[in-house]
Amino acid sequence: MSEPFEPRILGLLCSWCAYGGADTAGVSRFQYPANIRIVRVMCSGRVDPLFVARAFEQGADGVLVAGCHPGDCHYVSGNAFAEQRFARFGRLLDFFGIDRRRLRLAWVSASEGARFAAVVSEMTEELRALGPLRMQVP
Amino acid sequence: MTRLIEQQLRARAHDLLAGGAVDLFLGYRQGSSPLRVAPFVARAPAEAEKLVWNPLCVPNLAGALRKHAGRRVGLALKACDARSVAELLRLRQLAREQFYIVGVVCHGMADPAQVAASVSGPVSGLVEDGAELLISAGDEVARRRLPALLLAKCAACASPTPELYDELLGEALPAAGAPPADRFAAVRSFEALDPSARLAFWREQFSRCTLCYACQTVCPLCFCKQCPLTLARDDPRRQTREPVSVFAYHLMRAYHLADHCTGCDECERVCPEDIPLSLIYRKLELERQEPQA
Repeated sequence: MSEPFEPRILGLLCSWCAYGGADTAGVSRFQYPANIRIVRVMCSGRVDPLFVARAFEQGADGVLVAGCHPGDCHYVSGNAFAEQRFARFGRLLDFFGIDRRRLRLAWVSASEGARFAAVVSEMTEELRALGPLRMQVP
Repeated sequence: MTRLIEQQLRARAHDLLAGGAVDLFLGYRQGSSPLRVAPFVARAPAEAEKLVWNPLCVPNLAGALRKHAGRRVGLALKACDARSVAELLRLRQLAREQFYIVGVVCHGMADPAQVAASVSGPVSGLVEDGAELLISAGDEVARRRLPALLLAKCAACASPTPELYDELLGEALPAAGAPPADRFAAVRSFEALDPSARLAFWREQFSRCTLCYACQTVCPLCFCKQCPLTLARDDPRRQTREPVSVFAYHLMRAYHLADHCTGCDECERVCPEDIPLSLIYRKLELERQEPQA
């Protein structure tokens, strides 16, 4: 019965950098855990914290929001907005008792396939240690 | 003292309406029981007599203002309501020139539950006598000092005088007695708990939530025409009160109000399940005061 816990991670990746990074990771055959399910968004600034809340609601154990490095945003300042907004949202999650580490913000450029693989592996390990969120179990 | 304010308020409302300075005057009238007041709009000078002012005038009038857009409105505001109006003005939801604001110095409002608990039977009358309240239930009369009956938010209120007004009624008394209680004591002790205890606490509290959205309806700062957080009536998550959806609703509501909440605690007052929502909104206030790196 006791299967090892496999966290489910939702990845919200910016179309210009992080999604390209994930693509590079694939093309260069870097290994990373299959726990992440990726959704491409146009910019990390596009990600409403509501998406994150809904992801937890639907059973995700962690959410990765990844975008361009500071200063490299395709839309000039989208990633800066994302950083501000998720810093605040993270503190609120903490107040409600959801570990802040379940929401991770990362900067990955399109050429950094190895970095993308490292970020996903690291996050998966961290969530394995944290255990399931179990929001859906009463 | 509220008796005097009530007389002055009626006189001012009468004059403003009679002189044509305002089209309507927004205040409170006596409600369905001695422990209730209801928001009231006086539209003619004669109606000004129905206005009341007593230590139970808790409802925040700021939320009713947007309904009267385009008309000249006079209104009576306490300090906490004035903060909400100021925030709505800052967000350009209201036009300042539309309003004639009669600010009222407020030394705190009484908690109806504590007033009711002071006597054995149902309360039949409430009269203010100096610094004391005479609470009557049939033949029984209890005397209580107002400071002992204050709402939690009033006990921790630092400013009796509104920050926004055209004219002011009442006098700001020098702070007598105890200094205001620490507004953030509850938040700090809650944050000292470990995360799993916090999660368990909120799950327990939100398990009572029926998604009636009263907190949202009453909130003066919830002014979006369509709310992305409100589940439609026929949404299965709303019908089954899916605990995780309730959790997400309260979490996101806190996030949306993070910059705007003025701490009037109306959400907690109207909550039929007595969920301690003020804890969340005190936390937001604390966040704004102590910006973190």
